[in-house]
Amino acid sequence: MNEAAAPETIVVIDDEYAMRLACSKILSKMGLRVEAFENGARGLEGVAALKPGLVVVDLKMPGISGLEVIARVHEIDPQIIMVVITGYATIDTAVEAMKSGAYDFLPKPFSPDELRMIINRGLDRRRLALESQRGEVERALLKRRFVTFVSHQLRTPLVAIHQYLDVLKHLDQTKDDPARRQEWIDRCLKRTEELQNLITDWLTLARVEGGTLVKERVEVDLRPVISGILASYEEMAAAEQVSLEAVWPEEALCVCGDRSCLSVLFDNLITNAIKYNKPGGKATVTGSLSGGEVAIAVADTGVGIPEQYRPFLFDEFFRIKGEGVKRTEGTGLGLHISKKIVSEMGGSIEVESQAGFGSTFRVRLPAWLAPAENTDMGSWE
Amino acid sequence: MSAKVLLIDDDRDFRISVRSLLETRGYEVFEAASGHEGLSQVLQHKPDVILLDVMMETSVEGYGVTHALKYREEYAEHRQIPIFMVSSIEESPDERFPMSAEVEMIRPDGYLTKPLDIPRFLELLEKTVAGPRRAP
Repeated sequence: MNEAAAPETIVVIDDEYAMRLACSKILSKMGLRVEAFENGARGLEGVAALKPGLVVVDLKMPGISGLEVIARVHEIDPQIIMVVITGYATIDTAVEAMKSGAYDFLPKPFSPDELRMIINRGLDRRRLALESQRGEVERALLKRRFVTFVSHQLRTPLVAIHQYLDVLKHLDQTKDDPARRQEWIDRCLKRTEELQNLITDWLTLARVEGGTLVKERVEVDLRPVISGILASYEEMAAAEQVSLEAVWPEEALCVCGDRSCLSVLFDNLITNAIKYNKPGGKATVTGSLSGGEVAIAVADTGVGIPEQYRPFLFDEFFRIKGEGVKRTEGTGLGLHISKKIVSEMGGSIEVESQAGFGSTFRVRLPAWLAPAENTDMGSWE
Repeated sequence: MSAKVLLIDDDRDFRISVRSLLETRGYEVFEAASGHEGLSQVLQHKPDVILLDVMMETSVEGYGVTHALKYREEYAEHRQIPIFMVSSIEESPDERFPMSAEVEMIRPDGYLTKPLDIPRFLELLEKTVAGPRRAP
């Protein structure tokens, strides 16, 4: 439990003094704030004023009945958890109370343990309800902002390109500078490429909305896959003055997965390790097999990821910008896609990082298990 | 003396092209890649016009900059600098901050759409800097 949070308030409404006293004593000892009232009218005033998380109400009271209290409390706040106390003779009423919105009931007589258990269950339920309510509000907001956000992401490179071309057109011809023109054309090409990548990644994601990226589950040895990717980035790494290294065990690192997805996954991690590195830095891929899992670590000696950004790292379109980060050309979708691929293959991806010193992405994937009726037993003889 | 324009935008390419355009028209141009940088440039260079990107991914977004410039005490002497907010999407602050009091507070001097319509943009700038000189 969060110790910094204020204690939850519980309102007890019961006409019996002994019951109010007992409930107050037991619940106070649980660290809860308890206020007890002797009838429904007073109790409802108390609920409106105290905004409790949970209300314990006796069903059989003179004046406003317990059932009516439940209805009126929920008019004040439908999220308040209602627990009813009832004698054995009124089980039917208890059922009715549950139907009208009570969360749980306590038949009299009950032990302190029973009270504690039911109150804790009720409070857990409330926390969950509040969390999911918050989640829903956030999701709705996010969805609304998302369309705006995606169009902004797509338009940004397009705007930059258009602006270059339009300014070129409007610049005084006598002041034309061929070197500048060449530089601008190069920038336009770079931004076009960025737009292409963005659309490719975006489509990849859109296509799998609700579906899966991973289409096949076959035996794939990761060593040649990753070696191939490393080889294809030799030139880029050299340009960035980053050295590439792979550390493999002698045995094959076979996982069960989709070859093209695995390529996308390690391509993303390796290009990040090169792009977000420092001149003279290293990008190292290490593989191992143990406990039915293949673990691949992609480590760089680059700029690192400040702690406050780590929770968002795998979110769609998340990119770290600002001081110390020279690149803004990523699509912000690479890690999101990577995480999706890993999860679909039943694995996990984690990041460790020290800002200024580098990051290590650790991927764990279930190792390939040869099917029992594998006919290809020749090599075993 | 040439008029000073401050470009606050996180897209370097956008700053490069607009800067060249303005320089050939005789403006002195300052650049900032983030809201924070923009605010310190205001104090340092005292621009005549500010061109401000609405959606930046750094900590102080466009509206934050406008708000700071119009209402924070340390920028009091720069309060009159015209601010034009630039965005590639038509998003007025009314959509972003549905509370009218807040919207009133952060209303800039104008909105421009990216990519800029160059002839209209230049005309607007000319009119703005030629306008009545602000009180010292």
